[in-house]
Amino acid sequence: MINKDVWDKNRGGRKTRSAIGVFLTGLCASLAALALLAVLGYVIYQGARAVNPAFLTQLPKPVGETGGGVANGIVGSLITVALATLIATPLGVLTGIFLALFGRGMVAESVRFLSDVLSGIPSIAIGLFAYTLLVAPFKHFSGVSASVAFAVLMLPLIIRTSEEAVRSVPQTIREGALALGMSVYRSTMQVIVPAARPAIITGLLLSIARVAGETAPLLFTAFGSPFWTVNPTQPMAQLPLQIFNYAISPYEDWHRQAWGGAMILILAVLVLNITARFVFAAPKNRQ
Amino acid sequence: MLVWVLAPALRLHVIKEVFVKTSLLQRVALGALIAALTAPAVAGTQLTGAGSTFVYPFFSKAFYQYSAKNPDVTVNYQSIGSGGGIAQFTQKTVDFGASDVPMSSDELKRAGDPVIQIPDTLGGVAITYNLPGVPNGLRLTRKLVADIFLGNVTNWNDAQISRLNKGVKLPNLPIIAVHRSDGSGTTYIFTDFLSKVSPDWKSKVGTGKSVSWPAASSVGGKGSEGLAGQVANAAGSIGYVELSYALQNHLNTAALQNAAGKFVSCSVGNVAAAAASKPNISATDFSIVNQPGANSYPIAGYSWVMLYQHGSDRAKSKVLHDLFAWLVSQPAQSMAGALDYVPLPSSVQKTAQATLKTMTF
Repeated sequence: MINKDVWDKNRGGRKTRSAIGVFLTGLCASLAALALLAVLGYVIYQGARAVNPAFLTQLPKPVGETGGGVANGIVGSLITVALATLIATPLGVLTGIFLALFGRGMVAESVRFLSDVLSGIPSIAIGLFAYTLLVAPFKHFSGVSASVAFAVLMLPLIIRTSEEAVRSVPQTIREGALALGMSVYRSTMQVIVPAARPAIITGLLLSIARVAGETAPLLFTAFGSPFWTVNPTQPMAQLPLQIFNYAISPYEDWHRQAWGGAMILILAVLVLNITARFVFAAPKNRQ
Repeated sequence: MLVWVLAPALRLHVIKEVFVKTSLLQRVALGALIAALTAPAVAGTQLTGAGSTFVYPFFSKAFYQYSAKNPDVTVNYQSIGSGGGIAQFTQKTVDFGASDVPMSSDELKRAGDPVIQIPDTLGGVAITYNLPGVPNGLRLTRKLVADIFLGNVTNWNDAQISRLNKGVKLPNLPIIAVHRSDGSGTTYIFTDFLSKVSPDWKSKVGTGKSVSWPAASSVGGKGSEGLAGQVANAAGSIGYVELSYALQNHLNTAALQNAAGKFVSCSVGNVAAAAASKPNISATDFSIVNQPGANSYPIAGYSWVMLYQHGSDRAKSKVLHDLFAWLVSQPAQSMAGALDYVPLPSSVQKTAQATLKTMTF
């Protein structure tokens, strides 16, 4: 039984403390959101001046020439990121399935640990790794080497999200499939993975968004180019590199183009994130 | 009733329509994709180069013009920094390197094969400052610049400064000495100058792409942008930037007393005058700071291109030779002038051409 006097005496203090707590968390949450909105707003404000059809369809022009765009950078980035996704997806998703369903003991623990360590390695170090592996021996830069660096960056994220996705499929479904006489292979591929698919795809999209804006690993791999580049065995133009080069130049026109490129990049990543959130979000309580 | 009769026919029509349309679309898309992937993106010889950030705008413009005249040659130059350029050139991942400081004898040893180094353009280092009420052209002696960056002169109302600038009201403000925090050819040229004019600087700090800055008020900024930003943000700041950057961004720059005792502004003409006073430069004797001559601006330096003297691919060596023979000729150099770079004096152009002739192909 509650002592009514004590209850009343403490009630005011508790309510005040609670209100202060709620206010502080709310304040921090809005500050965090404000930072994102401020960056987004400023990039769009600056970038909108540069983005027009020509900017999206033309090749870069040297300083002093009017016009010029980042079309080759957009295409180059799309190709390297797509290749990276092709490399990292099977590896990452299968590792995630292994960890969630079959991995036990030391092996699984080491894989998990190594993947966590990998996610903490700075992207420039991974760029240097790809350089040593694929650029230095062949004596020329290539889009493929950038894709490999991206794939290594994407792996830990894909492994972690796939593992979580597969784990979140109820044990009863797995047992049900096996009880109906399905082999382990069929129950995994036809029951568990399809149930986990939306969450796996969400993880994939987030990992793509994670690498799409990376600049550091590109410096020593894709190298960049002022030309149309669609052959991944050659140096390739990349949007983040173009933004970087334009931003550190002394020319006003190039600064404008850097903002334009930044806006395209940030909007692309934003679209990926929103797609991941709404389109592929795991449906609640499948029947 | 009618709907039931018509429905199958309608459905068939829609399926047909969609099938025909998508297959057409697919055919077009597939065709475009195949065309894009198989068509050689760049015909002829493609050269790659890497290095100096300073020359990037000039190179991108010059190579663009060269390809317009020679459509079978395209040059992909990426500004990864002078140090990176030398490293990639040594690794032979690029056909040529560019650096604001020529390769040292140690670096040349590491490259293995014989290397030729030619000057490609010139740059001046401007002293910029942020002093409310003080216009462009503040006068400074070489010794004063050294003393400011050594931390010996710490306030703008110092008698040594006001004596030089009669009629200018100098504020009572502490001096903030701003430097480049990243390794930079601009820093190399500036510290080369300070070492030449101040024995104190030479013994305490020395010359380098990045040094340990002695002044107590030292502040760093990354890149020309970062440095100019630092100077713009705090009144009383003084820093050094490339001439082209100072001109493009309309920064206030100081007039420095040169070896002849004259106060000269940092301009394309005065830097060219300094360079012209020493035509016989080489990769081992390249310093042109503190040059004699009434118009010589005292802080200037060359930027360099590195090439292998006996390249393994003869056809490529020929293309490289022709490209750089054009780059150090008058038409390309006057283009550099239009971008606020300093064109090579004709005597230096000749030296560079002579060096290029030693290439074999």
